[in-house]
Amino acid sequence: MTSNSTKIAIIGAGRGGTALLDLLHQIPDVDIVGIADKDPTAPGLQRAKELHVPVEEQVHDLIRNHGVNLIMDVTGDPSMAPFIQAMKRPGAEVLSGATTRLLWKLVQHQSKLEAELFQADKLAGLGSFAAGIAHDINNPLQLILGLAENLTDEQDLAVVHDQARDITEAVKRTSAICRDLTRYARRNGTGEDVMVNLNTKLDEALRIARYAVTLQDVTVVKRYAEDASVLGNPDELLHVFINLITNAVQAIQTRGTLTLQTTVSPDGHVSASVSDTGCGIPKEAFSKIFEPLYTTKPPGKGTGLGLYNVLSVISKMEGHICVESDVGVGTTFRIEFPQVQPTTSCAPL
Amino acid sequence: MGEFKSGFFMSETACNGRVLVVDDEPDIRKVVRMTLQKAGYEVIEAENGEKAIEAINTGENRLLLDVLICDIRMPKINGVEAIAYFQQEWPRVPIIVLTGFPDTDMATSFLRSGVVDYLVKPVEGEKLRTAVARAMEQRELAQL
Ligand SMILES: Nc1ncnc2c1ncn2[C@@H]1O[C@H](COP(=O)(O)OP(=O)(O)O)[C@@H](O)[C@H]1O
Ligand SMILES: [Mg+2]
Repeated sequence: MTSNSTKIAIIGAGRGGTALLDLLHQIPDVDIVGIADKDPTAPGLQRAKELHVPVEEQVHDLIRNHGVNLIMDVTGDPSMAPFIQAMKRPGAEVLSGATTRLLWKLVQHQSKLEAELFQADKLAGLGSFAAGIAHDINNPLQLILGLAENLTDEQDLAVVHDQARDITEAVKRTSAICRDLTRYARRNGTGEDVMVNLNTKLDEALRIARYAVTLQDVTVVKRYAEDASVLGNPDELLHVFINLITNAVQAIQTRGTLTLQTTVSPDGHVSASVSDTGCGIPKEAFSKIFEPLYTTKPPGKGTGLGLYNVLSVISKMEGHICVESDVGVGTTFRIEFPQVQPTTSCAPL
Repeated sequence: MGEFKSGFFMSETACNGRVLVVDDEPDIRKVVRMTLQKAGYEVIEAENGEKAIEAINTGENRLLLDVLICDIRMPKINGVEAIAYFQQEWPRVPIIVLTGFPDTDMATSFLRSGVVDYLVKPVEGEKLRTAVARAMEQRELAQL
């Protein structure tokens, strides 16, 4: 493992260097040996400290470092390239100027594409909500209209009071729908990670999934652990759960059980799972279900983007997803989240 | 007093007809009942297609049912399936669809299949009563 990893030195801690740091430190097989800048106040040096990346005071020390096999020059300084060439050890390769910028552009493009796929999946979801939303808005409207018509000539004061109260309740229920949906449709901004209560998120996801899939013949079982919270983006987690719940309910053809569970282990590991007693996933499909656009559903019911987006959100959080499934019996998707506060650094002895 | 009033209406108009309303929302059944009772109809309720079929098959309802009002999006047997069943078993009972989801394709196919009206919630009381009255006329024609 260590021999395969790329050991990188970042020269330049301006905007480019900071962006590279943010990107590269997330990739498992990449090891950032250090970052250096002539300017000790460069913003990337501060960021490096936050990420526990070593900051080298002298640029040439970092270039000469034995452990480095790739030097990335993001200084934008034309005199840096010959300097690096002169100083570097023979085995080390150099990426500089235009090459690094291209790399950075590719990465940005990729993450923009991912954001678009995420949004596309949500919008496709909204389309399938139409019938459910219409149902949930027009039913209370029918009640309100009927009661209001009756009130115009109702003589019995007690009935008048009752019906006025019913109207108020119906209006409240209707406005809750809009609140849920605007939260769902919102584009994820640069939203900071916050502590998210998974139980509340699962409940919210269930309410929204109801617009896309009818739950009447599905028994919902909730097994929530107290204080199941994780650090994450609430909108992304909401979408993750909506996807898993929608899939689970779609897998249940006639009647069945949907189980939503959260656990908190004694050592503080948090997990969330969504299980169904539906059709199950055949073994040969296991490797494909997380691929973008893989779907076994007819157009209008599936886009194949759901699990792909689920996986990318969870990987970004450094969590894991396990799938257990038996054809004809059911499926469980279990998400294991990383520990919230790593108890210091677990250095090997 | 409310109780007395509805009883009074019914006896006065000697029951204009018997309407079965099928909707999973109790609220909807309640307002439809209120609206139609004002025009002297007797209203029976069912919360889904299965219950509706049960209701029609029991007792005297079968003989006396004049109009059926049915929602589409319902658990168990949904509206589309239920309506197909009603049309086959009781071809003479006119059906009015009362749905929360305006879907032109669905409306067209229902109307082609002989459903007398396709109403989208929220529907005004007057419009509902007119639709039921028109359905009653059809029912009477069918009986001739
Ligand atoms: N709970 C489940 N039970 C059975 N099959 C599932 C389940 N979840 C996902 N799948 C399978 O994985 C495929 C991909 O899922 P997903 O990425 O959410 O796309 P979509 O739901 O749009 O098809 C589905 O089409 C289905 O075949
Ligand atoms: Mg899906």
